[in-house]
Amino acid sequence: MSSLTDRYLAATLRAVPAPRRAEIADELRASIADMIDGRTDAGQDRETAEREVLTELGNPERLAARYADHRLQLIGPAYYLAWRRLLRLLLATVPIAIGALVAVLDAVDGGSVGSAIGVGVTTGIEVVVQVAFWVTLTFAVVERLSLPLHLPRWTVDQLPEDRPAGRGVPLADTAVSIAALVLLIAFLPWQHFRSWVRDDGGDHIPVLDPALWRFWLPALIALLVAEIVLQVARHRAGRWTWPLVGAKVTLDLAFAVPVAWLVLTDRLLNPEFVQRVDWLRDGANLDVVYTIALVAVVASLVRNTVAIAAQARRRTA
Amino acid sequence: MVSDDILRTHLQELRRGTVVVASLVALRRPDYGYALLQRLTDHGFPVDANTLYPLLRRLEEQGLLTSEWNTEESRPRKFYRTSDEGESVLRLLLADFSAVQRSLTGLIEGVAR
Repeated sequence: MSSLTDRYLAATLRAVPAPRRAEIADELRASIADMIDGRTDAGQDRETAEREVLTELGNPERLAARYADHRLQLIGPAYYLAWRRLLRLLLATVPIAIGALVAVLDAVDGGSVGSAIGVGVTTGIEVVVQVAFWVTLTFAVVERLSLPLHLPRWTVDQLPEDRPAGRGVPLADTAVSIAALVLLIAFLPWQHFRSWVRDDGGDHIPVLDPALWRFWLPALIALLVAEIVLQVARHRAGRWTWPLVGAKVTLDLAFAVPVAWLVLTDRLLNPEFVQRVDWLRDGANLDVVYTIALVAVVASLVRNTVAIAAQARRRTA
Repeated sequence: MVSDDILRTHLQELRRGTVVVASLVALRRPDYGYALLQRLTDHGFPVDANTLYPLLRRLEEQGLLTSEWNTEESRPRKFYRTSDEGESVLRLLLADFSAVQRSLTGLIEGVAR
């Protein structure tokens, strides 16, 4: 027996369960010899025949998997859809939630804006990797062990809502809403680091009170992120459903009330910034700005709520 | 014109399963792997060696085949034969096969009319 066949047998048997190894070895060795004989009888030289026979039998690991009846896939069709659904659901929610939470905690703990955002983003990415790894590992183990998962059977009730053309939310609508939210989120660190007003030394003076980074600004950022998630949910639902309206109004209130309160208690703008801008230094003008801001916040809250509720009623009617 | 790949996939799908039936029929007369491979090929059931050999073992584990080592010749070989259980399964498979054949014939005639 030449070394090529021996090596092929060894490579195959390595991946076959031990108790059956010896018998498979004997049988496979005889079969390979028979196949080689078949070719040499037809006039082929021995070496070529051996190469061709082993090539025909193919990758030893694949052959071994066939002997052992192993599945050559990480997650097969039985579990693939459940895996994908769970993974999408978790990846869409958990990393953002935990990242925002960690960022807020860091800010509350006295970390700078930069460190809070950095820690939040790093944690979010770590959570993405962890979630993807553990979910996939769990399903791969279930697949290997052929565990019955008792997944709920699909029913017609799971069909998505009918969404005839013209009734869904146009993609552009959602994109504009989300872009506005992203710009608003980006504005907060920007006004801190890259404000257009500078002090005598040429350093940027934050527009908003830096003390707010302790808690309020991270909390508001978290609310804005939640608002983005809400916009995505609305796009997928195709319309404002009543639960979505409820969530939207709650988020709007959670945003507007603290902002209004900060305005009323004169804690929103950076005192240093106010001092630096001549026009604002006059107390009466500052009051005008605060009043306009307050009216704008309340008006937008009322307008949004009314418009959304009207939309939701029209769609459900 | 449909591509060769598509045609090959459909033919494979159609042939899958017939190898089991053909093997159970052929092994009413005991035989070893390579000889069975030759016989099946000669009778119009071309099958890959790396499919047939593991399949024989699986059918044996399922009790549809029995095996025996023949050490009389220079090269010891494992001979398989269809067991009683394999025979009854084979009968059911063949009955289903002709049912499919009949249904298909009926369908073809029905459409042709």
